[in-house]
Amino acid sequence: MAYAGSTVHIGCAFSIIEILAVLYRQYLRYPENNPLGQARDYLVLSKGHGVMAQYACMREMGWLPEEAFTQYFSDGSDLKGLSDSRVPGLEVTSGSLGHGFSVGVGLALGAQLRNTDQKTYVIVGDGEINEGPIWEGALFAAHHQLKNFMVIVDENGYQAMGKTNDILDLGSIQAKFESFGFEAITVDGHDEDAFSEAIKQLQISSSSAPKAIIAKTIKGKGVSFMEHDNVWHYTRLSEDAYQKALQEVAGESK
Amino acid sequence: MREAFSDTLLALAKADPNVLLLTGDHGYALFDAFRRECPKQYINAGIAEQNMVGMAAGLARSGFKPIVYGLAAFIPVRVLEQIKLDVAHDQLPVIFIGDGAGFVYSHLGTSHQSTEDIACTRAIPNLSVYSPADAHELTTCMKSAYQSNSAVYIRMGKSDRNSVHSSPIAPTIGDLLVIKQSRNSTLAFIATGSLSSTALALANTQYPNASVWSAPFIKPINTKQVIEICKQHQKIVTFEEHSVLGGLGSTIAEISSEHNPSQIFRIGIEDRFSTHCGSYNYLLKEHGLDEGAIVQKIDRFVTQK
Repeated sequence: MAYAGSTVHIGCAFSIIEILAVLYRQYLRYPENNPLGQARDYLVLSKGHGVMAQYACMREMGWLPEEAFTQYFSDGSDLKGLSDSRVPGLEVTSGSLGHGFSVGVGLALGAQLRNTDQKTYVIVGDGEINEGPIWEGALFAAHHQLKNFMVIVDENGYQAMGKTNDILDLGSIQAKFESFGFEAITVDGHDEDAFSEAIKQLQISSSSAPKAIIAKTIKGKGVSFMEHDNVWHYTRLSEDAYQKALQEVAGESK
Repeated sequence: MREAFSDTLLALAKADPNVLLLTGDHGYALFDAFRRECPKQYINAGIAEQNMVGMAAGLARSGFKPIVYGLAAFIPVRVLEQIKLDVAHDQLPVIFIGDGAGFVYSHLGTSHQSTEDIACTRAIPNLSVYSPADAHELTTCMKSAYQSNSAVYIRMGKSDRNSVHSSPIAPTIGDLLVIKQSRNSTLAFIATGSLSSTALALANTQYPNASVWSAPFIKPINTKQVIEICKQHQKIVTFEEHSVLGGLGSTIAEISSEHNPSQIFRIGIEDRFSTHCGSYNYLLKEHGLDEGAIVQKIDRFVTQK
């Protein structure tokens, strides 16, 4: 897909693959497999630039045809380089950072007002939480005890121009969310079992606090020459790089 | 007008439990009745407008009908991107109320004065822009916005100006409302918000050959009606307590230039911030929007060829 579309943001998608796989396979409930069903759980990709990872999951769900991938970024096509809510399965139009978190808080508040048990999962980037509205929303979610709201921070340690620690040091993200009134766990975001267990632990908690999982991830995970190299926030795939990356990813899944 | 706002809001909320009022910690006494009678539909989102609008989008997505209240300097201008991306892009039914538009907060300075909000919101697709002049227009704007089931910005300016309508009205969305019809009029006044009463007063006292329309709907606006007004008058003057760039005057001039080029003079705020503080009337004067200054401008315009 990234190769077909000659697109950027590859590393940003690779860091959340396992997170999305666990959510789609084990947690997200879509009655009758309908991405627009009223009783669905909500998955909000606030870091919209990771959307290719979500497209892959939506393909597995049967919501996107193969052509959407081979024709990615072709003239007149629907799947954009950032999350667009007009595509069924994508809840928000993100890309401008710090939006999806608040929309997710609203979705969770709506579920609470209607007294449903719908869950809202919001994926944000660690760089993204530089944005102020994230913390406005965190205050609100905690004050209103939105226990079915869960934020997953993709802590890959990088943002567009470099390491998060060098640009605006975030310190302990877990401690920050805890101090805002969240129940939080830090976990390896590429260990599917550990990540799934973290979600489970938070969901069986008797606390009425909103939940946060800080997922330690690797930007570009799964392809050795992309891992920890921020150039893959922006670089397009050459044919050579594409073939090498495919081999590595295929080798890993054997 | 504020009482009409409070009453209409309460009536909408009572009739539809999906109506939620969100405020960014503003509107102290305005919501007393609402909080008393519909406490579960009242959400004070704190001094956090960006999050409030994002949440309103989430609530609207899950079937609620949020009404987001703030001062016009903040709602819509501070949160313009949230309105664009989170709400308007998805055609969600969220009503934005921008209170105190124009120079209402005349003593507080630029942070609380809102003279660019119409220009900002007009350019956002799927977003309607209403600008009521009195209690009757406000009531119909609120009801129309609710019934439209779409995103609407309602601009509330100076609320204690004289009424321009003597009884309740029920216009079609987009219509300009004639508030003074002169026989064989050669001059058309088209005004919105607080300056509708000024336009009407001036027409009654100084310009017997002027007909006056109040425009509670800036977008959408009844284009055919505007063209008709342009055809029937030699000169047109627009009035608004908003920048002359991008507001009602621009709207009328855009339509006219495309369909029936007319001589149009835009009365509004020139491209500058307030310099001093003082009473509301003082600020109008500072910006040349007091009746004396307006008359001078109109007289110059009317006599020029």
